[in-house]
Amino acid sequence: MPATNQTPTTQSALKDQIREFIQTQLAEPKGIATFSDDESLMETGVIDSLGIFRLVSFLEEDLRVRVGDEEINAETLKSVNTIEELVIRKRK
Amino acid sequence: MAYLLQQLLQNSASRYPEKLAVWARGRSITYRQLEQRSNQLAHLLRERGVRKGDRVGIYFPKCVESVITMLGIVKAGGVYVPLDPQAPVDRIAYIIKNCGIRVLITREDRRRGLDSATRESLAFTVLVDETPKSSNGAALVPWTMLGQYPAEQAPKVVLTETDLAYILYTSGSTGRPKGVMLTHQNALTFIEWCADIFKITSEDRLSNHAPLHFDLSVFDVYNTLEAGASLYMVTEDLALFPTELANFIENQRITIWYSVPSALTLLLLHANLKAEKLNCLRIILFAGEVFPMKYLQQLAQLLPHVDLFNLYGPTETNVCTYYKVQRERLASMDKLPIGIACENTEVFAVNDENEIVTQPGETGELYVRGPSVTYGYWADTEKTKKMVLPNRFQPNFEEKMYRTGDLVQLAEDGNYYFLGRRDNMIKSRGYRIELGEIESALLSHASVKEAVAIAVPDEIVGSRIKAVVAYHDGTTLTAPELQQYCSTRIPRYMIPEAIEFRGQLPKTSTGKVDRVQLAQDALGSATTLVAP
Repeated sequence: MPATNQTPTTQSALKDQIREFIQTQLAEPKGIATFSDDESLMETGVIDSLGIFRLVSFLEEDLRVRVGDEEINAETLKSVNTIEELVIRKRK
Repeated sequence: MAYLLQQLLQNSASRYPEKLAVWARGRSITYRQLEQRSNQLAHLLRERGVRKGDRVGIYFPKCVESVITMLGIVKAGGVYVPLDPQAPVDRIAYIIKNCGIRVLITREDRRRGLDSATRESLAFTVLVDETPKSSNGAALVPWTMLGQYPAEQAPKVVLTETDLAYILYTSGSTGRPKGVMLTHQNALTFIEWCADIFKITSEDRLSNHAPLHFDLSVFDVYNTLEAGASLYMVTEDLALFPTELANFIENQRITIWYSVPSALTLLLLHANLKAEKLNCLRIILFAGEVFPMKYLQQLAQLLPHVDLFNLYGPTETNVCTYYKVQRERLASMDKLPIGIACENTEVFAVNDENEIVTQPGETGELYVRGPSVTYGYWADTEKTKKMVLPNRFQPNFEEKMYRTGDLVQLAEDGNYYFLGRRDNMIKSRGYRIELGEIESALLSHASVKEAVAIAVPDEIVGSRIKAVVAYHDGTTLTAPELQQYCSTRIPRYMIPEAIEFRGQLPKTSTGKVDRVQLAQDALGSATTLVAP
């Protein structure tokens, strides 16, 4: 597992890093044990109104991408997959 | 003059049939459609055996059908019970059983999540999905069946304002939620005060931010119907994203917003609010928790054209006091009062000597009397007797008063100020949480020997929750495991964000767990409350 402060170079490492953050920082504190990569994190309650900001901080600080206010929405942050897509897009 | 909630709809439907009544997730219905569909649902329910006073559960995420369902049930003489679509199924099953709910209006995916015993205990279930996946016989009724029933008139049911209209379940200190019984009169007492003081008209566009099992939504839904206004429901795809929420307020030209303060704080901090974009807003109301002064001051400055009101009141009475923010005084205040009693409600504070407080500076527990007060808790005479008491200050006739458990202080200007609770009830994001309910959930885990839930003050949400747990020798337990376990028993917002394990919990000299010590320890170590 990559250390959380490194910027991963491979795609699957990036997804793992995103998944791990969500798992330990957002899902587990709510008692949610598992979620799939394409599942809507809002509908299942993994992400709530406070979790959004922790997630954005993670993207900005740990993954080093700048996310604009308009990019913080139901489409980009919907699932592990869409979050990964967002990061890849921002890194181009 | 309306004495039943459905008459609010009936009156507005005859005046404004083609007006948009409810909007949610890009869909909307007119007053005519709302009136007709709710009539049809009422006939369907009656035909299948729903009788006056029967409790009917509403169990699906917010959509236009939510309002059709609420009105359809009351028109059938039933009592609607909104069930939190995000609550653990165990809690939903408990409420269904506790409340004697035999009819459920739900979605197929929610229904499937319930255990089979609960599903089988129901007389029938109405599915609001477009196309139900399975329809085994009479027990599952698709929404499309509504079309077969009369639309122009509601069924004839003899109801008075003293009949129950809905039951709202709130956190219970002994571990299980309790159902607050509310009548048409309870709701209308509140609505009539609102209509008058906020001068709500058919031109208004009200948002509905609160979930339907929270009494803030009573304001949104029934004030809309009363005035012939339009209701714009906030669903989770909007609620979570401040920018989206701000866009919603702007695009739907919302004129009246009512929510818990933490929703406003998040908007303020993250949505880049611009006064000129929100120029349709004329009133913002907030309730449910203390609004941190600095954020309120920022909001007041940012939106100078908007009237701001602090509303206060437990589910048992809906709003009972209010305070209108005066901007010129705001800068010099460090605390906002809960204000004075609403019209047609009386409040008073009772001190330790059992006397009504009359002098400025005096403190006491707040009591409420009048037609907004609940009859009590469903199937819980013991708890009801503790909180809904004979009014001993009324010598001439019998009446009830409700003890809020809130300590207040009377000020010079006649306003009341909230001081704190008598007990272990806390607010987090406006949610009412009994620490005892969390502790019960923790203690029910086989490995847990002792458990205490502590509220850690938080600037934005009021309180965050930490638990300190001792587990039995020979067992092991991790925080994620215990949080997972809790998620099957209590709603997410009650699950402790951090859990500390100790061999034993500190005790006082009388052998009780030393909560004060634990609270102090928690304050000392809480910089960020992040799960281990």
